[in-house]
Amino acid sequence: MLAEQTDEQLLELALNGNEEAFTDLYRRRQGPVYRFALHMSGSPQVAEEVTQEVFLFLLQRGHDFDPERGVLGAYLFGVARNYVRRAMEKSYSEAVKTTPAEDDDPNLVTDFDPVRDIARRQTSKAVWKAVLSLPEHYREVVVLCDLQEQTYADAAQALGCALGTVRSRLHRAHEMLMKKLQHTAPALAGFSGNAARCLS
Amino acid sequence: MTCRELMEVAESLTPSQLLRAVAEGQPLSAHVRECAACGRWLESQRSLGEALHTLQTVTAQREAGPAVEAAVLEAFRTRGFAPRVVAMPEATPPAMWRLSRFFEIGAYAAVAAALVVGLFLGARILQEKKTESATSQAQATSGSKTNQSALPVVNSGPAITPQVEEKTAPAAIARGSSPRSKPSTQTPANAATSDSDQAGYVAMMLCDPLICSGDEQVVRMELPAAVSADGASAQPVLADVVIGEDGLIRAMRIVNE
Repeated sequence: MLAEQTDEQLLELALNGNEEAFTDLYRRRQGPVYRFALHMSGSPQVAEEVTQEVFLFLLQRGHDFDPERGVLGAYLFGVARNYVRRAMEKSYSEAVKTTPAEDDDPNLVTDFDPVRDIARRQTSKAVWKAVLSLPEHYREVVVLCDLQEQTYADAAQALGCALGTVRSRLHRAHEMLMKKLQHTAPALAGFSGNAARCLS
Repeated sequence: MTCRELMEVAESLTPSQLLRAVAEGQPLSAHVRECAACGRWLESQRSLGEALHTLQTVTAQREAGPAVEAAVLEAFRTRGFAPRVVAMPEATPPAMWRLSRFFEIGAYAAVAAALVVGLFLGARILQEKKTESATSQAQATSGSKTNQSALPVVNSGPAITPQVEEKTAPAAIARGSSPRSKPSTQTPANAATSDSDQAGYVAMMLCDPLICSGDEQVVRMELPAAVSADGASAQPVLADVVIGEDGLIRAMRIVNE
């Protein structure tokens, strides 16, 4: 029954003391929040800390959430974004990584074909490295829109900016990513050629 | 469709949406077939979309550990949701803040008082400087006048010998009431008569209080007989001469007349 409820309805129940609703809400939203922090920081440790802080913040300020201003998922991404930023400022050298964390997670999706699996890992590592090297406000839109598959409107709510800003930042971020991948991973398919834009 | 229109469409779509639109939409795919540059650009977009999708799928199963879940649920059980915070209209400031506010006002008052005192002293110093400069200027002018009128009289006698006895100027003269009082309203003749009535001194020059400032000395001098009134007397004439700081004679009286 709770599985059919929206995030906002679960929060409403949790605010009235329903532990089951809160647990369900946590299990539903912790993954995206964790992955957002992980993609942003490249550090599993930071991602875990941020996830915990986000839900403790929700316990503290859950009454302030206004469903009319947007969905709960975008609200949580917005909170997570602030905590990621704070974690990066606190321990910049540790939090910001130019290379992503090693994939030592046993839950990783793997391919039965070992060669293809290695290729996938190399690709993802190169792309993640490129994403991590982006400036923060470009990295945010790539993580939210491309990796978390948020709509432009939800990303705009999470980032607290206009929808057009998200759109233009994402377009610019894609251009930057392609340039970086041309330099760092030219062997990857599609990045070896010249991707100059034609504006005729 | 032009290249610019394709870019405008591309900006509004994510890479995966763009690829779907090219696959489905006739105008987009038609332009890509015609324009090699847009075809290359679209190919790079497709590659980027695939690469991002790979990263997405590789990390899709990652999530926070059980320790985080335990900590969050424990916080919910022990504390629950914090009650809604109602904004207070105006909270009273704490005692410490009031104390610091008191000191702050005190500091402002001290600074203001220091400014007032500084302004007062500055104005006073300025006024004194103005007075000094006016005095020195007037002395210079009166000195030149006195040299024209008084010096011939003093220098007329060949031997003006000052006595050893030296007195301070009489109080009336020192205060400026005798030779210097009301000089601007009196003619030299009137001043001479009135002053001589009081102390026997005859003013030798018009003394403005601003000009004739400073101490005066009374010097008893022995004047040659030629200077005396009868002119023929052989006895020297003793006179008390009031001399100012500038060396000019302010007043004089005959002692052994």
